[in-house]
Amino acid sequence: LDDPDLKDIDPAVLKHCHAAAATCILEAGKQKADLSAISTCLEDCKLDKERIEQFCTEYQKNKDALEILLGSIGRSPLHITDVSWRLEYQIKTNQLHKTYQPSYLVTLNVENSDSGSHPDVSFSCTMEQLQDLVGKLKDAAKSLERATQM
Amino acid sequence: CAFFTGKLNTGVDTIQHGVEGLMYLLTESSKLMISEIDFQDSIHVLGFSDELNKLLLQLYLDNRKEIRSILSELAPKLPSYHSLEWRLDVQLASRSLRQQIKPAVTIKLHLNQNEDQTAQVLQTDPSTLLHLIQQLEQALGEMKTNHCRRIARNMK
Repeated sequence: LDDPDLKDIDPAVLKHCHAAAATCILEAGKQKADLSAISTCLEDCKLDKERIEQFCTEYQKNKDALEILLGSIGRSPLHITDVSWRLEYQIKTNQLHKTYQPSYLVTLNVENSDSGSHPDVSFSCTMEQLQDLVGKLKDAAKSLERATQM
Repeated sequence: CAFFTGKLNTGVDTIQHGVEGLMYLLTESSKLMISEIDFQDSIHVLGFSDELNKLLLQLYLDNRKEIRSILSELAPKLPSYHSLEWRLDVQLASRSLRQQIKPAVTIKLHLNQNEDQTAQVLQTDPSTLLHLIQQLEQALGEMKTNHCRRIARNMK
């Protein structure tokens, strides 16, 4: 809107145009409209052929990026992005000596769809518990694979 | 304590001291996991009868495991794993975008923290799920390596 080419136009009109264009683009993106639908819509708005073609070419160029952006808007539970683990061998505590057992410390890095960062989820587990956890995740992965083959 | 005072013909304080002394003996012995011989040597200095010493030793051996498991609860702890539930979802549309096919795995992670159970709902996408599985399988494999086995052997 600060473009020097546009300084001769009434700012109110400019704002209207911008809002109209943005609304049109977002609606087209939301509905995943194809080019013919967009062309028809613009024809009804009495735009000439050249302008419609220009609009459609630009839209086509940016369509994928637009869809990704629209798809990322929205609420979802905390999203796991990564995992880190630590294996330790416990020798003693101040209350109990000679404990001698391995234990795992697992940290899940999570992201919030709104703010982007969130304290990570950490927990400890024994080897058996970790095996249980991995087993269940593998079940989920197998289910996913079967679902994609249907 | 008052009940036993009548039965054994001694003061309340004596009974209390007796119980506390017994508790301390058993707790310390269990904590250090001392052997039978060491235990016998330790209580020998108290000058009790042989029969009493035998009873005390038996008491120690019978209850050692349980006392140790109670003591292990006192250690500083992070939330620990309890269980995990999962669900496959496919997002078909949202307010901002129609006609989607977005697979996701929703997970409910149950953790124990100081006797409270918490459940956290998390989500991940298929590729991250496979990455998680690969990383955690590597973690499990570590305990079986020569390095870790050697340490575990030598620590005992």
